[in-house]
Amino acid sequence: MRNPTLLAFVFVAPAMSVLLLILGWPLVSAIILSLQDVRSVGSPGAWIGLDNYAKLLADPSLWRATGMSIAWVAANAVLQTALAMIAALVLSQNFPGVRIARTWIILTWIVPTVVVVIIWRWLFSTSGGMINPLIVQSGLSARPIGFFSTPWMAFATLVFINSWRWFPFVTLMLLAGMTRIPGDLYEAARIDGASAWKRFSRITWPLLKPTLGVLSVVGTLLSFNVFDIIWLMTAGGPAGGTRTLPVLIYETAFKGYRLSEAATMSVIATVLLLTFALLTVRSLDRQEERE
Amino acid sequence: MRRSLGLNILLAIAGIFLLVLVVLPFWWVFSSSFKLPQEIISRTPTFFPHSFTVQHYAGLLTRSAYATYVVNSLIVAIASTLITLLLAVPAAYAFFRLEFPGRQALYRIILLAYAFPSIVILIPLFGMFAKLGIIDTLPALIGVNVAFALPFSIWMLRSFLASVPREIEEAAVIDGAPPTVILRRIMIPLIAPGIASVAIFAFISSWTEYVFASVLIISDAKRTVPVGFSGIIGQYQIDWGLLLAGAGLAVLPVIILFAFVGRWFVSGLTEGAVK
Repeated sequence: MRNPTLLAFVFVAPAMSVLLLILGWPLVSAIILSLQDVRSVGSPGAWIGLDNYAKLLADPSLWRATGMSIAWVAANAVLQTALAMIAALVLSQNFPGVRIARTWIILTWIVPTVVVVIIWRWLFSTSGGMINPLIVQSGLSARPIGFFSTPWMAFATLVFINSWRWFPFVTLMLLAGMTRIPGDLYEAARIDGASAWKRFSRITWPLLKPTLGVLSVVGTLLSFNVFDIIWLMTAGGPAGGTRTLPVLIYETAFKGYRLSEAATMSVIATVLLLTFALLTVRSLDRQEERE
Repeated sequence: MRRSLGLNILLAIAGIFLLVLVVLPFWWVFSSSFKLPQEIISRTPTFFPHSFTVQHYAGLLTRSAYATYVVNSLIVAIASTLITLLLAVPAAYAFFRLEFPGRQALYRIILLAYAFPSIVILIPLFGMFAKLGIIDTLPALIGVNVAFALPFSIWMLRSFLASVPREIEEAAVIDGAPPTVILRRIMIPLIAPGIASVAIFAFISSWTEYVFASVLIISDAKRTVPVGFSGIIGQYQIDWGLLLAGAGLAVLPVIILFAFVGRWFVSGLTEGAVK
């Protein structure tokens, strides 16, 4: 094996074939499935062309779930960025124990989602739990608060729980971006008498923009895909208040036994996501050129 | 660099806020898993347990198949980690250190794979695995976990490979060492922290995976912790003690792993992001 090109292919081939087999081929099958009428796994389906698309694009439940997904992604982006910015600013400082804190901040991200679900179901529980007794005792509310009782409350609570799980990931990305900012800039600003807020708003924030740009793409894709937390916590309820696109797709396929319709929805979702990702990446590139 | 007093106070407040946000929920769950049932549902929550019992842990291990779930999860996670390493390290080496036609295009495709909504794959994959007759087997899960860990793993190794000076490699090439030997003898030892990061990432993503395990595994004896555990949630009339003990046991392996190699993982994640 002296031929380097051949060897490179030998190195790449195993990984590529796994990806093609387990990600690539199912993706093609999803498109094929969306052009057929298949109800449950294994049953044959007739070719019906674009009928599924026509039917679903006229279906309000798809648009409602799409709207829910957009709200979900946006709310998570805001909360996660806010929490992560606080965490990154703290962890970029020097204080005793900062090295341990930088490692263990990731704790909420590395535990199974089912554990996250248990933790917060219990803490937010209306009978017992931890948060409600504290709220009642401190007199903030006379009765326990039903954190999952109304669609709006359930949505807000889930956004908090999901952001709690994901903000450490964003924190590490921001920290990485901060280490790229030259220290002399802060030194110079200090000598000029700039306040801490000025140093943040004039140096840290603008120079973090490329990192935030990348995060807006990656974070959108990651948030959009969140399914297990929502499913285990509320199963899309109450009254569809947390039924995002992945939840709707899962329900359609495995509860409603309408595989082809679910495949069609997932193709539509993929097209939406890719369009968003490509447009964002292009506008980021253009911004960089301008600067 | 010295900070003003006001800034120090602000920093302390933010630090305590983060500590409460991240650590307190875990402390409450962990400490409460040792409380007697009546203390768990008491209207006045206790910060430190007033009672001590291991009955929830004992109940979990005897009344449910939790131990089986843990064994299954360990098998799947360890096998996924090893296979991911076996595939990702040579591939990353070829992508970032060797020249071959189509290199850029292939790398872009790999990154794209990371962006796809996994729910898209789920439906056709179920059909495909059903045809192959590997539904309800652990290898099916291992395959899926490897495929999902690969793109991120290859991307993560990039910065580690980039940090190895070209001269070291060139000297070996002049000495007549073939790339296989260079990879094994020079690269792998030098990027050991990167390999550790990838291993932790692959282990954690497999240990926590829920969606595919819930669809591809049917029999109770083959369930992994996330799926088996979510079954317990519905099965019993909410027995918080049992659930809290289960949560404690599901977190334990990850915490142990992280205590040893967590530092490498976090630096691997951040260094990858910079490049």
